[in-house]
Amino acid sequence: MALEVDLTFDQKTYRHYMNGFLAVLHCHHYMSLLTKLAEDYEDVGGPDILCESVEDSIRPMLDDYFQKHNVGTPEEKLKVGQEYYSVMGMGQMEVMGDEQGGEVVLQRSHVDQGWQKKWGGNIGKPINHWTRGYAAAMFAAAFNRPPRSYQAEEIASIIKGDDTSKFTITAC
Amino acid sequence: MTVQRDVVVKQLADIQIESTDEGLIPAYGVLVNMLPVAFWNTFTERILKAIPDERRAELEEALVNCAHECGYHTGFGIINSDEFKSVVEPMVTEGAKDILRGAYAVFTAWGWAKSGIVQIKEGERMVIRAVDYYESDGQPGYKTAFMIRGVSAAFFDLAYSDAFPDGIHKYKCEQAKGIEVGDPFGEFIVYQNE
Repeated sequence: MALEVDLTFDQKTYRHYMNGFLAVLHCHHYMSLLTKLAEDYEDVGGPDILCESVEDSIRPMLDDYFQKHNVGTPEEKLKVGQEYYSVMGMGQMEVMGDEQGGEVVLQRSHVDQGWQKKWGGNIGKPINHWTRGYAAAMFAAAFNRPPRSYQAEEIASIIKGDDTSKFTITAC
Repeated sequence: MTVQRDVVVKQLADIQIESTDEGLIPAYGVLVNMLPVAFWNTFTERILKAIPDERRAELEEALVNCAHECGYHTGFGIINSDEFKSVVEPMVTEGAKDILRGAYAVFTAWGWAKSGIVQIKEGERMVIRAVDYYESDGQPGYKTAFMIRGVSAAFFDLAYSDAFPDGIHKYKCEQAKGIEVGDPFGEFIVYQNE
């Protein structure tokens, strides 16, 4: 299954749309700096705010795609989520699991590789809050559950020197 | 001829942004992402809501700085990229001013803001207007264009401060007007840091 992607640029407003959703280009510097900012403000919940902002902004795009393209089964829906992730430039993802949860593996990661390009090394802990939120949105959308139905934990991380990043997804 | 924003925007927008087989988008010397505007705006709005009043100014400056550092490094990549050289440089006749105009055309083509320079005093001050920008989409009751502020200061750093990478933070930018607070356009003033 190849994801159908309609990228348009409004010549009047100069805005981008991805499958009808307003989108914008940014770079790994901005993503790394915003991720670092979320880490710096951990005392007010920065990492979880980042994670949940992703979950809440990605979910409508997935639901809309499923509806418009008659994507019916959870397996097909997870596959759509996996492909959308790459189309957005966020990396290369493998997903497996069922309604109880599963696993997400990143062979390539915009967040981690961008962090490495910017600062090198690692800070001794995983930082890919963006993908935690994405994985939560993807599983909730695939199994037609409300937001915050799944939690993702990053158990291996490219930024920490692992070959791949891995996330366990658990139904709450 | 000087740099004509609309011509540049159209040509740059025609360059397809597509991810590689590895799901990454290398362009302009950086890794690019294309994400829903809702994500960026939601994160900003929620973290500002979470912060106690006495730390709000510090957080706002941190948000601006994310864009300032991003704009400085990515801006340098942009103005030295093959895309910039092929599309913008043939129109450059006014040195740094035109490089800045070209950088704002890229800024516009990336979907950040329909914006342009309305006044410039070289090395001292610049005024930018944006008639449409994604950071204005919510109506939180305060000015929200932290990204435009940071990137604008960064572009002025690149044009008039010490050579890259030693010239960052010579300039800063304040938001004078905002669509999100009821003004007809956003207005941004870049000036030398004290």
